[in-house]
Amino acid sequence: MFCSKEEAVAMETELLRDYGFGRQQLTEMLGHACATAITQVFPLASLEKRQPTVLVACGPDQNGCVGLACARHLRVFEYIPTVFIPKRSSDALHQDLRLQCERMDLPFLSYLPTEVQLINEAYNLVVDAVLGPETELASVGEPFTGVLQTLRGLKAPIASLDIPSGWDADESSSDGISPALLVSLMTPKRCALSFSGAHFLAGRFLPFDLQRKYELNLPKFSGTDAVVQL
Amino acid sequence: MLGVRALFGIGLLVTSRGGSVLTHTGACARIASNIYSKDLTHRQACTMADTIKYLGQEEAQHIDEELFDEYSFSVDQLMELAGLSCATAVSKGYPLQSLLKSPPRVLVICGPGNNGGDGLVCARHLKLFGYEPSVLYPKRPSKQLFQNLTTQCEKMDISFLTEMPEVQHKPQRSIPHRSHCRGARFISHTGYICSWDVENGCPDGIQPDMLISLTAPKKAANHFKGRYHFLGGRFVPPALEQKYQLNLPQYPGTDCVHQLN
Repeated sequence: MFCSKEEAVAMETELLRDYGFGRQQLTEMLGHACATAITQVFPLASLEKRQPTVLVACGPDQNGCVGLACARHLRVFEYIPTVFIPKRSSDALHQDLRLQCERMDLPFLSYLPTEVQLINEAYNLVVDAVLGPETELASVGEPFTGVLQTLRGLKAPIASLDIPSGWDADESSSDGISPALLVSLMTPKRCALSFSGAHFLAGRFLPFDLQRKYELNLPKFSGTDAVVQL
Repeated sequence: MLGVRALFGIGLLVTSRGGSVLTHTGACARIASNIYSKDLTHRQACTMADTIKYLGQEEAQHIDEELFDEYSFSVDQLMELAGLSCATAVSKGYPLQSLLKSPPRVLVICGPGNNGGDGLVCARHLKLFGYEPSVLYPKRPSKQLFQNLTTQCEKMDISFLTEMPEVQHKPQRSIPHRSHCRGARFISHTGYICSWDVENGCPDGIQPDMLISLTAPKKAANHFKGRYHFLGGRFVPPALEQKYQLNLPQYPGTDCVHQLN
């Protein structure tokens, strides 16, 4: 079930090229599913602060796109998400998703405070959609290194989308972000083998023959659920 | 998909095997005891149905336009969410274990517009939910969006029929086996069946068992006499809802549908 970075990329390519899926579609389904997983692990009633505030940190690539869709669905599910985008993206889909969040009146942070206490006090939860498995870790610089450092120091729980930002998709990590919740997208990556928090799988759209081709052996989703707990 | 095009999310479903067809009334009798929704008390249902706004044609069109122009949504996105809502509503109204025939076949009839696109998305999600959908898509637009949706279904091994399956007629019932697309006309044993007007309905038209209103119900839904009326399309921005005073009910939890009756 746990696949490598290369396999994950190959699968996504096939979905887009051979199965006729569009990035917008997949991103929407994944964002919606991630929001669903978050509500299961951090239900509204369980949040300690007066307001159901959530900070959603979105990087410039596909991981960030899923984060933006997730933020919008969290708003629909009655959370109060605030979006933080460390670096503007040149990706058209990212820009559209960002605009949708703005039009839904989601507040945006212009910078991430380095004092972690401010974040801990303001937000019940932080959604980490900064870096995904496609990121070349060696090329990661500012502002991301600063953001990751801040996230590492947080007491507020973190929910990471696909992989915890800064982790290598194929390896376990000892000093990276330690999220309370990991939502793997489509299929868990190898690095998730060493993950010990709550682990959900999102992406209930993988065609059955694609699952067979990559020998995914994914667990069964129940009923009409968009996510399944691993 | 939305507004005038969203009168029926999927129109109707017919389970068929070897030519025999369940009329919606037949289905009613058999599965009525299994379909009561635990989440919705009768009193809640009445209250919500009273206050929710039923849209006229013009308003529905304006909301459509705003979603795309002001809120920057794309058709792909909203169609995916709409189709998912439809499949979810179907599985709530007609749970797999309640179906009389095995395998759990469903026919999804798709017209040439966005409504048909919703149907294609719905068919795909029904397959993922364990149903066995087949699609009848007599008139396919050339737009890339619809070609992609068709490919997605085909690659999920959803068969596309070339013609309507044979229907066993029962007297004194309008058999729900026709496309929901606007303007389409087919001959049944009782004569022509018109399609519904978005505000006034159509007494001689299709009488579905389930209606899935997308975004918000349309005025024609006042004429709906079936058992299940669901609301779907859980993507309306709060500001848009307020602007048009939609008075949408609260969807339960993270559900993408809400039963109105």
